[in-house]
Amino acid sequence: MSQELHTRAEQLIAQERVEGILPADQHWLRQHLAECPSCTSRAAATEQALRSLRSLSVPFPKTLASRTQFRVRLRAQQLRAEPRWRMVWAACGVSWAFGAATAPYVWRGLEWAGHRIGLPNIIWELGFGLWWALPAAVVAVILMIDNVGRSSESAWKRQPN
Amino acid sequence: MADDTKSLALGLKRRDPDLLDALIEQYQYRLFRYLLYITGNRERAEDFFQETWIRVLERGHQYDGKSKFEAWLFSIARHLVIDWQRQKKAQSLDALTNPDEGAPMEFPGDDPSPLHLVLTNESDATVQASLEKLPAIYREVLLLRFQEELGLVEIATVLSAPLSTVKSRLYRGLEDLRLLLAGATA
Repeated sequence: MSQELHTRAEQLIAQERVEGILPADQHWLRQHLAECPSCTSRAAATEQALRSLRSLSVPFPKTLASRTQFRVRLRAQQLRAEPRWRMVWAACGVSWAFGAATAPYVWRGLEWAGHRIGLPNIIWELGFGLWWALPAAVVAVILMIDNVGRSSESAWKRQPN
Repeated sequence: MADDTKSLALGLKRRDPDLLDALIEQYQYRLFRYLLYITGNRERAEDFFQETWIRVLERGHQYDGKSKFEAWLFSIARHLVIDWQRQKKAQSLDALTNPDEGAPMEFPGDDPSPLHLVLTNESDATVQASLEKLPAIYREVLLLRFQEELGLVEIATVLSAPLSTVKSRLYRGLEDLRLLLAGATA
């Protein structure tokens, strides 16, 4: 038997396992193996190597999955909270910018209204101060709503299934 | 399968914690085994295991549901290991482990090796010894093909390598494993 035939058989033995071979090649290989002890033993050794590889098992650390699940849930909570904080800061920024831009008009408006109604200066000036405190009040309300939402979510999660 | 992976992709996009819990349960063994094969170190494999799932949570929206989830999962794990290797040695895993491009990956000078310690209790000593002698780059493809039973294209996706590279690594790895086992049992 020529060396070329053995080489072809060796290639097909590996190829059959790695990517599969055509039925015609499969037929040729079976015929060759039936007549060639050395290639038969090579095929058996290859099959044995794969069986050994498949039989290997790795002991899995007992608590690794639960530790990972815990970490993933924590991170998920952080990620859920991030967009809400971005919203709060964005609202804060817009609010302050709007407040600063309209301050002169608000001052004049309150001054005009105060004189028209006959309020003492201190009252409408206090009103102007309140106008500046409005963004902080809005943020406080958002945070309160956020906290109420979170505590009710936590209470819901603590409930047994 | 397509419907399963599509609904999986939607759940990952929503960062559904219950879905992630279930996925961790389902893929825990396979992911840990893969990480152990490519890092050769139990503690490191545990660290990468956790980091991989955090990354799955953070980048779940990138999974399109068109490919097998495990292929995507393994590619995330692999990239984490490569990033770590790069930080450590300023080289990629491939450069470290491809014998054609230089010296094969060597594990820290522990004796016996960490991989050996992990496998010792459960497996045949001859196979362990042979696997340890195989460069990680071949162990990896052999695991993905013959234990995970991924297709060649899926392995190429995990490795971000051409199909021809995957095939050549598989042929070389299979041949080396056969020779190592034959030598060990002779």
